[in-house]
Amino acid sequence: MKSLHVEGNGLFHRLPIRAKLLLLAALGIGLFLTRDPRLLALGPALGALVWFTLGLPLREALGRLRPVFLTIVIVAAFSFLVNSKEEALLQLLRLTTLMLFAATVTATTTVSAFIEEITALARPFEKLGLVKADDIGLAFGLVVRFVPEVLSRYEAIREAHKARGIKLRPLTLIAPLIILTLREADQIAAAIDARGLRRH
Amino acid sequence: MNTRDLVLVSLFAAIIVALGLLPPITLGFIPVPITAQSLGVMLAGTILGARRGTLSVALVILLVIIGLPVLSGGRGGLAVFAGPTVGFLIGWLPAAFVTGYLSERFAAGRANGFAQLANLFIAAVAGGVVVLYACGIVGMMLVAGLPFMKALSGSLAFVPGDLIKAGVAALAARAVQAGYPLLPVRS
Repeated sequence: MKSLHVEGNGLFHRLPIRAKLLLLAALGIGLFLTRDPRLLALGPALGALVWFTLGLPLREALGRLRPVFLTIVIVAAFSFLVNSKEEALLQLLRLTTLMLFAATVTATTTVSAFIEEITALARPFEKLGLVKADDIGLAFGLVVRFVPEVLSRYEAIREAHKARGIKLRPLTLIAPLIILTLREADQIAAAIDARGLRRH
Repeated sequence: MNTRDLVLVSLFAAIIVALGLLPPITLGFIPVPITAQSLGVMLAGTILGARRGTLSVALVILLVIIGLPVLSGGRGGLAVFAGPTVGFLIGWLPAAFVTGYLSERFAAGRANGFAQLANLFIAAVAGGVVVLYACGIVGMMLVAGLPFMKALSGSLAFVPGDLIKAGVAALAARAVQAGYPLLPVRS
């Protein structure tokens, strides 16, 4: 699985992650404080300037935003038709701005910086007994490690269906996929404990 | 949380991510293909129960936040949270919890097959449809400024598909319950 981080050395790359997240949160609140479309129109313009100068190839830069931008446009069009035209325009401008800057934060921050930040943010909750902060990194690792495994198991089940000449149906796929995957939990847990990975 | 629970939570998160990568599967009797990722949320609750189910969904959402393309269609990163349908993503958390709680309460350790199946279906609908849509609709009202009735009517088209998914989730959860029971009993 490839992360959405992009190498670079611009302003956003050098800002610490906490500053970027706080700026993004402030932007999210700030955008909803004004209803002036001329002021809000600055947002997408600035956002696009930042996003398209990050060094991503244009196709990739557009491709990454497409699914989110599509939902924004569809809901704005729906709002335009059934609700008020003004509201639809405001929403289109606000969400497009937010999308561009959020995508920028994601592209300029490494996955490990995010994991460190999330672990740090989870520390206070350790005292409440809710989570062990260091487990979060371990869990991320396990997911990334096992997604390909689940996919190869899906392939195996699909092949088995083909060999028997039956069509792949959700029920004949999902139950075996889940049982086969979860059944390994005991072995993996034993391996983790044997290596003392949670001895913190 | 013991290590086995941590591993189960992670493995289930991996299943949810993988369900988003699989090609859409068609059911036999209707021509519409279903994308399996929201099915994964119902499955998390009905198979792992409230606590572990919610945690595995939370893990997927955290993976989205840190910038991995784990949602269906390769979506990921913070930009996802700028979409007007963000409530349907955040809503995964209470949806998995409610589905899990009701499953533990009414479907764990039941011998009667049909009653168990019916209860699992109700749990999946309560969490994966009622609670999820409530969150999604509130999200659209807040983010897109849509009035309640408009946001509701815009979402209703997706309900039939999700009811079918709840049925698939209930059947699959029962099969898993029979083959590898994990659901804790809550009285």
